[in-house]
Amino acid sequence: MDWNKFSEVFANCELRGSKILIKSRLHDVIKFVTDNYPYDILKEIIAIHNRDGMVELVYNLYSTVDEESLLISVCVKDEAESIVDIFKSAEADENEIYDLFGIKFKGHDNLKRLYMPECWDGHPLRKDYVQDDTRLCWNDDNNDNA
Amino acid sequence: MTTTTTTLKLNLGPQHPSTHGVLRLLLELDGEKILSCEPDIGYLHRGMEKMAEKMSYIQYLPTVDRIDYLAGFFYSELLCRIVEKALEVEIPQKVRAIRVMLLELNRISSHLLWIGMFLMDLGATSPFFYTFREREMILRYFEKISGQRMMYNYFVFGGVRRDIDYLEDVDEILSILPSKLKDYENLIEKNPIFIRRVVNKGILEKETALNYSITGVNLRSSGADFDTRFQDSLYSGFDIGKVILKEKNSMARYRARILEIKESMKIVRQALDYLKKAPALEQKLINPVNMKLPEGDYFADIEAPRGIASCFVRSYGEKEPYRLKWRTGSYYSVNLLRKLLVGEYLNDAIAIAGSLDIILPEVDK
Repeated sequence: MDWNKFSEVFANCELRGSKILIKSRLHDVIKFVTDNYPYDILKEIIAIHNRDGMVELVYNLYSTVDEESLLISVCVKDEAESIVDIFKSAEADENEIYDLFGIKFKGHDNLKRLYMPECWDGHPLRKDYVQDDTRLCWNDDNNDNA
Repeated sequence: MTTTTTTLKLNLGPQHPSTHGVLRLLLELDGEKILSCEPDIGYLHRGMEKMAEKMSYIQYLPTVDRIDYLAGFFYSELLCRIVEKALEVEIPQKVRAIRVMLLELNRISSHLLWIGMFLMDLGATSPFFYTFREREMILRYFEKISGQRMMYNYFVFGGVRRDIDYLEDVDEILSILPSKLKDYENLIEKNPIFIRRVVNKGILEKETALNYSITGVNLRSSGADFDTRFQDSLYSGFDIGKVILKEKNSMARYRARILEIKESMKIVRQALDYLKKAPALEQKLINPVNMKLPEGDYFADIEAPRGIASCFVRSYGEKEPYRLKWRTGSYYSVNLLRKLLVGEYLNDAIAIAGSLDIILPEVDK
């Protein structure tokens, strides 16, 4: 694949390995890529809480026609743009990332706790998540019994 | 006097027998018509990804079979593949044949269970016993070689735990299965009640399926030609048949699984023929004690019975992964229910949800 054509369009992106790193305008980039290239499936969104405190979101796009993968990566602090209007499957991925990393997606109107109970404090896959026994209580009434 | 109509909110599950584990669907009904569906998952969450960050790779390996207890080999294979990729270890030809044979047998056993459960969802109880009888032969074989019926822990980094044996059992399975499959077809496919509940129900267009990230059999029964086994280096040299159906409904998803069992049997036969002639296993296993993966991001994916399963690992050269993520097919199938059930009748909800082959431990991870 000719990676350079992406960097010509988006001045703020950087190529590292097989991954395109972008700083902002995630929605626009993914819209551009899916409109112009046959990437028809969003395999998954991977979130990683990096050592610098930022959460890296890696969008794994896949083309069932060319059988090629494209990774688009963006670092966010606590808010990101939702791409639910492009890929419906992102609804599930973004909800999972909200639950486990605490990232709020602008444009996703159904963010809720998925694996963790509604009353759960914190987001367990963040590296700054504190594990102590008080968090193992399952409802608000028991939270004081430290 | 004026009358007002209100919609009814109905909980389907989490203890409903057809939800295959613990899935709660919050349905909004107008009469018997479904207006909206909101899946509620997480009842079976075990924190597989969080757990990985605290464990070394070899400590984590026995737990990954539990992600999908019906297709455990696939997840062991993924973790082994990540480690082999990172340490640049090539697995011997015989290990490859063993893995392919066991993966395909596992796929057959998983599809057999699905056929039984799907028919049970539709109210027919006897096919459940027949498919479990055939699945039992495969599970007995797995038990003989790995000591376990479902959580095998048989693949290890760089190879398999011990050499393959009891190949005559596989021969027997392959000779018995075709006639049994014919029995299922005679018993199930001509049944008018079955036909009325699956034909023209749960229509899934190819574009919708791709947009919802549906892969595997469900995508192929909507007319897409997409199977990652064709690019998979593990399967190179094996002749794999394509199963693509164009009907897009629940019936197509049922037919596709029957046909896929037949194709898997052909792959098992190829691997079996190779293994019968192969010399004793010579493999160089990776020493898992103090094993560290070099710094970097690693991806691996495989065509599991319920769609593409993949594993991502970011390592900083430590004994534990910095981050490990699983992608499972069922997770996206549950999300699809939001769309697929809208406009259908309540009595079809179970039949449509069942046809997608959702397994909840895989969803909740």
